[in-house]
Amino acid sequence: MSLLAQVLVSGVLLGGLYALMALGLALVWGVLNIVNLSHGALIMLGAYVTYFLFTGAHLDPFIALPITAVVLFVVGYVIERGILNYVIRGPMFNTLLITFGIEVVLTYLAQLAFSADFRAINPSYAGANFALAGVTIPLVQVVVFAVAIGLTIAMWLFLLHTRIGRGIRASAQNLVAARLYGVDPKRIYALTFGLGAALAGVTGGLYGTVSQINPYIGGPLTAKSFAIAIIGGLDNPLGVIVGGLVLGVVESLTALYFGSTYRDVASFGVLLLVLILRPKGLLGRTT
Amino acid sequence: MKTTVGIVVSAIVVAALAALPWYGNSVLVQFGISVLLLATLAQGWNIIGGFTGYASFGNSVFYGLGAYGVAIAMVQLKLPFWVGMLLGLGLAVVFAALLGLAVLRLRGHYFAIATLGLAFIMTAIVSNLEIAGRNIGLVLPLLKSDFLFYELALALLVLATLTVFWLSRSRFGLGLIAIRENEEGAAVMGVNTTLYKVLAFMLSAAFSGLAGGIYAYYITFIDPVGVFDVSLNVKMIIMAVFGGPGSVLGPVVGAFVLSTISEVLATKVTSFASMFFGVVIVIAVVFMPRGLADFAERFRRLRFRYFAENVRTHRL
Repeated sequence: MSLLAQVLVSGVLLGGLYALMALGLALVWGVLNIVNLSHGALIMLGAYVTYFLFTGAHLDPFIALPITAVVLFVVGYVIERGILNYVIRGPMFNTLLITFGIEVVLTYLAQLAFSADFRAINPSYAGANFALAGVTIPLVQVVVFAVAIGLTIAMWLFLLHTRIGRGIRASAQNLVAARLYGVDPKRIYALTFGLGAALAGVTGGLYGTVSQINPYIGGPLTAKSFAIAIIGGLDNPLGVIVGGLVLGVVESLTALYFGSTYRDVASFGVLLLVLILRPKGLLGRTT
Repeated sequence: MKTTVGIVVSAIVVAALAALPWYGNSVLVQFGISVLLLATLAQGWNIIGGFTGYASFGNSVFYGLGAYGVAIAMVQLKLPFWVGMLLGLGLAVVFAALLGLAVLRLRGHYFAIATLGLAFIMTAIVSNLEIAGRNIGLVLPLLKSDFLFYELALALLVLATLTVFWLSRSRFGLGLIAIRENEEGAAVMGVNTTLYKVLAFMLSAAFSGLAGGIYAYYITFIDPVGVFDVSLNVKMIIMAVFGGPGSVLGPVVGAFVLSTISEVLATKVTSFASMFFGVVIVIAVVFMPRGLADFAERFRRLRFRYFAENVRTHRL
């Protein structure tokens, strides 16, 4: 019983990070109608930025996160204005392909600059944990969970209540109408992609404190972000929290009962089931 | 007149390719086998992606099933190669039918991602199957005859291209194009969209599966991560899109051009080769988003304005 509780707790804690991971992808997808296959590579870059701020400038990884976010925001903004902006009205294959191309280039550059070695962000308190009702809870994972969920909710409030947030939501719903009301789509698109990249960057920084990083972590993380975004649904920004928690718990339970080799079967099996049964996501409106 | 010239030229090209083992060295023949298989995969993807407009990321799954069909038949059941090919073909086509009924209801990105998820699932499932050698894989009997594999791969590519040629002028193919352009419209005009889409998916799977079968016997060792590789699927899409999706020869030309450039780069500047595909994709999608087929058609008239025109129509 306590084993089950332990697994459930770590699933939920992992789910928080998953939610933040998928948020950037879902945001870009919802607004630009681009499934950003380079999302995972941006997460990887964020992880390295945080890593070097930690090892080079001795900044605590959690303090370094705002800097990581700014760096990745700039990267995202430039990618959108410099490349994506020129193909955004093209067919769907092309936007999929071009983001995949960006992923390949970023991964290659990272491998060139940082080598393929595994690295981890290990602050002095990395091993700290506490016990609660017989369940051991690592401190770092709790902080990661809190930051991730907090940021997801903050992002939701930002989209609901600020001028830029309203511009982003308006562009997602009806670009023509948004233009008539004075929204500049070029600026909004670049801002949105930049925000998506910044969220990916923060996810990367957090990911580096709970897991190891290397230049190739991007691909599987992109696939997982998809799964989470779809399970939660794109209509509601809080859907990713549901998607993230579902996936985190399902993965942990599968690893417990069937062995960790079946983990991907479970997560993508849930994805396929949701796509077939509720294509608009668990929280989405049924048609 | 134009078709006659086309047929004659195609026949000469095919004859020249078929004769390659007699005048080319063994390195060229081995390179030929991999290019022909890739071209077949791109052509197979063209049926579901280019004609029907459904961006499938599941074709690498059919490739893997074809490869495992041959491997299981030859290693576990001690059956001859051609029975294995039939088994692989059967697995791929049946799987495509079942899967198609479920996921071809999804549109756009959703379809792409459902099939992508499937690729991850299949890797994990096959890694746990006893008959498929779990995650260690299977070692096939060695047949040292690059000649045979080369001619088989060429025959398969010719078959795939003829099928696509037939699609481009048959009622069935036009139905698929109608689905790509406007699915509701096609349904209203009396196209049985579900049936057409599933058939297109099965046809696409058949060629991927057969290519996988040839690959398995040629390479003599397969494992789950190697044959259910999603990046292979991305390669098919790039080659088909670079050549011109929905055209008859585009995917084949795309596969030949990209493989050749990539091979030359791999020998000349090794470190850059892995980034090459990424850079090519970005440049090609920005400047010639409709592929080589469209480029060949419109560049003569527009000259270098062609590139500017493409950017202008697709930018925000």
